[in-house]
Amino acid sequence: MPVEARLHFSQELQALEEQALEGLDMVVAALERTLEAVLHQDIELASYVIADDDRIDGRYLEVRQGILSLMARQAPVASDLRLIAALLDLTRNVERMGDQCVNIAKLVPLVGREPPVEEGILARIDRMMRQAISQTAQCKQAFSRRDVQLAEDLVRQDDEIDRLNREIFSLALQSGDDRDAREWGATMMLVARSIERVGDNAVDIGEQTAFVVTGLFREFTDASHPEIESSVVH
Amino acid sequence: MKQVTERPESSSEARFAAGAGPVPAGTQANNGRTTGPGTAPAATGAEATRPSVDTPPVFEIEKLTVRYGGKLAVHDVSFDITEKRITALIGASGCGKSTFIRSLNRMNDLIPSATVEGSVRYHGQNLYASEVDAVQVRKRIGMVFQKPNPFPKSIYDNIAFGPRVLGMDGNMDEMVERALRRGALWDEVKDRLKTNAFGMSGGQQQRLCIARALATDPDVLLMDEPASALDPISTGHIEDLMFELKERYSIVIVTHNMQQAARVSDMTAFFTVVVDEASGHRHGEVVEYDETEKVFTNPSDERTEAYVTGRVG
Repeated sequence: MPVEARLHFSQELQALEEQALEGLDMVVAALERTLEAVLHQDIELASYVIADDDRIDGRYLEVRQGILSLMARQAPVASDLRLIAALLDLTRNVERMGDQCVNIAKLVPLVGREPPVEEGILARIDRMMRQAISQTAQCKQAFSRRDVQLAEDLVRQDDEIDRLNREIFSLALQSGDDRDAREWGATMMLVARSIERVGDNAVDIGEQTAFVVTGLFREFTDASHPEIESSVVH
Repeated sequence: MKQVTERPESSSEARFAAGAGPVPAGTQANNGRTTGPGTAPAATGAEATRPSVDTPPVFEIEKLTVRYGGKLAVHDVSFDITEKRITALIGASGCGKSTFIRSLNRMNDLIPSATVEGSVRYHGQNLYASEVDAVQVRKRIGMVFQKPNPFPKSIYDNIAFGPRVLGMDGNMDEMVERALRRGALWDEVKDRLKTNAFGMSGGQQQRLCIARALATDPDVLLMDEPASALDPISTGHIEDLMFELKERYSIVIVTHNMQQAARVSDMTAFFTVVVDEASGHRHGEVVEYDETEKVFTNPSDERTEAYVTGRVG
């Protein structure tokens, strides 16, 4: 039978994981609002997203403090140690995802109330953001179920985001001579860039899932050595 | 992973004969080991107790089984203990750690009902061969116990005891100073060598016992929970001392303090209690033997995992 104090530790660690993973639900909500704000040029909603990021930051600080406390009091080892290390990494990614929503929301008022919208770009922003939302939900599921296959699938999913990001880039380059249209196109490039980062954060959380399960950390994709990507992933 | 190196059996037979010279350490070749530490993937099955290491073994233990009065105490233990490393033995009470460590210098000989099967080879030589002198074994393989147990004599006489009994040649004052220096005690006691050892603190008494074990010029130090009766500061002194000593000695330590095992040891063997369904009798077995870092970050066996994380008490 486990010792009483150790049982409490197990429960605390479990609660900490739930707390950290709830951060991803908060990110999904923030991404949805951010998408609404961009699609409808809703400056009010954008300012709400910015203010609400304090909750995600607060969650990050809580989880981090909880982890430090468990490390100091319980000296976790083996799978407990790997989970704690992964949660520290996960919660940092959650905080960064929240910040990307803020980055996007801050761009919304800069293009004015009725910018010259190019529908082709906006449709791709929409698809890209929905993809990011789906990946965020998927990385949460993969982590909580310790499902390495589902985590590795995030790389395949993320290819779609990268592809849309490149398309938006080339469409924005063709925005024409109108200064406002060019400014809007350039702003959408920045939006796309932030969404692309969110996708990467989800992949990072997938990597932490594999680490918790296997004890081996490896990057699913290595941006500095793209030629070995396929052999690493599959 | 089998050790493929052939060792000339006959040349080492005489090592423990009375008056034999010091054993040259580290003479074995190392042909069978190719993988560096930390790079091997998680081992399974029989391989789990055979991690790849890059130093020669001081002990090779094959199918060691110890019984007390016919009752199984430790069953079928096989692994190599490497030279100039600290090897920790962990596991719950009654899992056979102490029985095992005592079989490494034939302390179990002192218990009339104890029987030993299998083999323990020390630098290639069978420790339990009939011609081997147990006193010579304990000269080369020293032991330190849980509770400091100095003799009711002066500090000097505690250290000089072993060399005198063994009739070792050389300047006794120098031998005493050298042992006390290696025991990290010299500076604290050099001005009161003739005072009674019982006047020392618990931590000092334990370092005296370590120095006493070192006085007979061993190459292995066995430590059975050497710091469990000491406060954290004295424990720290003992652990510091272990780090210094492993330059020169191979150390095997039994500890119930998991963090101590993680802090000080290079290799860790995890023992567990096995209960016989029919008779209800309990004995110990080795479940996992690997690099300490591996055992405490990603153990191969779920019983090790449950023990080190405290999920079974």
